[in-house]
Amino acid sequence: MERRISIERNKQDQATQTAKIRPRWHTYALHAIYYLLMIVFVVFYMLPFWGTLTTSLKSNSEVMTSNPVAWPQQVTGEGYVSAFEELSGPLLNSVFITLGGAIGSVFLGSICAYALSKWKFKFGNLFFILLVAATYLPYQAILIPLLQTINALNLYDNVLGLILVHSVFGMSMCTVMMRGYYSDVPDVLIKQAMIDGNGPWQIYRKIVLPNTKIATITVFVFQCTSIWNEMLFALVLGGYSSKPATIALNELAGTMAAEYNVQMAGSILLALPVLILYIFMGKYLIRGYMAGAVTAS
Amino acid sequence: MASITIKDMSVSYTKGKTHVIDGMNLQVKDGEFCVFLGPSGCGKSTAMHCIAGLLQPTKGQILFGHTVMSSDGKKDFVPPQERNIAMVFQEYALYPNMTVRKNMSFALETKKTPKDEIAKRVDSMAQMLEINPLLDRKPSELSGGQRQRVALGRALVRDPQVFLLDEPLGNLDAKLRDQVRYELKKIQAQLGVTTIYVTHDQTEAMTMADHIVLMKDGHIMQQGTPNELYDHPNCLFVAGFLGTPQMNNFDTEVVERADDGYCLRTANFSLTVPKEMNACLRDYAGETIVTGIRPSDFELAEEGETDAIPAVVDSIEPLGDAFLVYVTVGKNVVVFKYTKENAPTAKEIMLKPCIAKLHLFDRESTKRINV
Repeated sequence: MERRISIERNKQDQATQTAKIRPRWHTYALHAIYYLLMIVFVVFYMLPFWGTLTTSLKSNSEVMTSNPVAWPQQVTGEGYVSAFEELSGPLLNSVFITLGGAIGSVFLGSICAYALSKWKFKFGNLFFILLVAATYLPYQAILIPLLQTINALNLYDNVLGLILVHSVFGMSMCTVMMRGYYSDVPDVLIKQAMIDGNGPWQIYRKIVLPNTKIATITVFVFQCTSIWNEMLFALVLGGYSSKPATIALNELAGTMAAEYNVQMAGSILLALPVLILYIFMGKYLIRGYMAGAVTAS
Repeated sequence: MASITIKDMSVSYTKGKTHVIDGMNLQVKDGEFCVFLGPSGCGKSTAMHCIAGLLQPTKGQILFGHTVMSSDGKKDFVPPQERNIAMVFQEYALYPNMTVRKNMSFALETKKTPKDEIAKRVDSMAQMLEINPLLDRKPSELSGGQRQRVALGRALVRDPQVFLLDEPLGNLDAKLRDQVRYELKKIQAQLGVTTIYVTHDQTEAMTMADHIVLMKDGHIMQQGTPNELYDHPNCLFVAGFLGTPQMNNFDTEVVERADDGYCLRTANFSLTVPKEMNACLRDYAGETIVTGIRPSDFELAEEGETDAIPAVVDSIEPLGDAFLVYVTVGKNVVVFKYTKENAPTAKEIMLKPCIAKLHLFDRESTKRINV
């Protein structure tokens, strides 16, 4: 009797499953719409980049006569040579500012996040709230006092000055991001490390950092991108000798208005390091962004 | 190795409004295996965390030997990393970024022990716990039982003055738990390190402990050897917590007999108590007290025998070497352990409790009456 009931139940389940499957033409039509939408979005987002790439590979005369998105009739690297001559110094500045600023802000943020997530101390929560508030602070609001401070420190038009500013201003965002990742490190590991004879600094170095490598990489890449692309601080606090590539690219547009191929080549040169970083770090970034979703084991 | 002394220790949260531990006093002898036993939320893990230094008591003193580890003043507090203790957590807490060997040698490396000494100790402990093939694996590649052994090995490989084990067998299956329990007790006896073990499992406590501390709501209800707690529970809570199945309790009236003795009477039976108990029952004459009888302290009686309890058999559970027989006595369901080869066949039976092993408790205060 029980067996018959179970067979009938199976039949019912199968019938329900069959009923859920839509007719084939419907599925194909839906898929076609999905793909069409995807292609439209990809073209929409990639068109400016495609235009930049094709223009950068054209000669100046071809730029004037041809369609901006058409592939060049004769591929030339003259735009890149001219752009590199103009941007090589600023690009080097950008590398120093970005690496220095990202390392500084990730280091400071990481220590702050560790203290805020794993140790209890008076006003810890208030400190965190203030840090979160700092991430919403518009940079324009503090530009004048910041300029005065940097002047007083004798760091105006100095790569070190920009590194310092990016380290300090990036710290709040790094702290907020890393606190989330560090909260996933089980407290019991910290307790165990204490029992094993380690102080707070050793625990940070030997337990917390090695177990949150991906999070650190994610935040580092995030910081690199935002500092590399930054213009405002560089414009206000950096003069001729500490000029980063973003400012130099802008000047390229101002002085050689007609040479679109040079400007586009400059844009590609500026975007390339960030693109390479994302291509190589992509898998870590995805894991890093997902890290908060699962408990650390 | 060291003895542990806890003097008047209290832990409270929310500015003294919630008391987790209230005035705890305890002396654990050097080399003793002490078990903190109690239901969830009784404060046993909190007490252990205070001993480890992971938590600072609100009040009171903790000493290892004669050295103060924690006192009322904050300056006397010795942080966990300076207490020379080893601890095993229920969650194992193995470092995911390190191999088993590195996990086991981590504390020794922190103490700057020579490398060859570390390798020697790790290898010998791994051999003892049969985890030497796992030494180069990461914790994520181990099963629950293997992780447990590594966690134990990591604690044992050190030479601590105190071992603290916080429900270390909680995540193991029954068979493995029995095996590790036996090994743990053996190793502790070999090393002779003062050990505190937290559990809510009374079987673990009874089988492993030299000294049981039974806690409830932040208070020590009773402490002593397993036999002391089992044979002479000082209150109804202790009587009920230790022993499987639980002790059977009856509300009985203390009635004076003509021959200057007392008997304990319910609507269904009457038990004659020996005259040695007169002194403790005198104050309760005419009142109702709770009489506790352990399931193993019953035997079958003949019809018409004195002090026999008429019972109706409800169900019988075979245990292999004995039977658990559930019977109804009046409105009470009573369980008794029957160790004969065949289960009782009659529906209506007579039970005779071992009068010398009766446990008598005050109904109001739940304290033990017979000393």
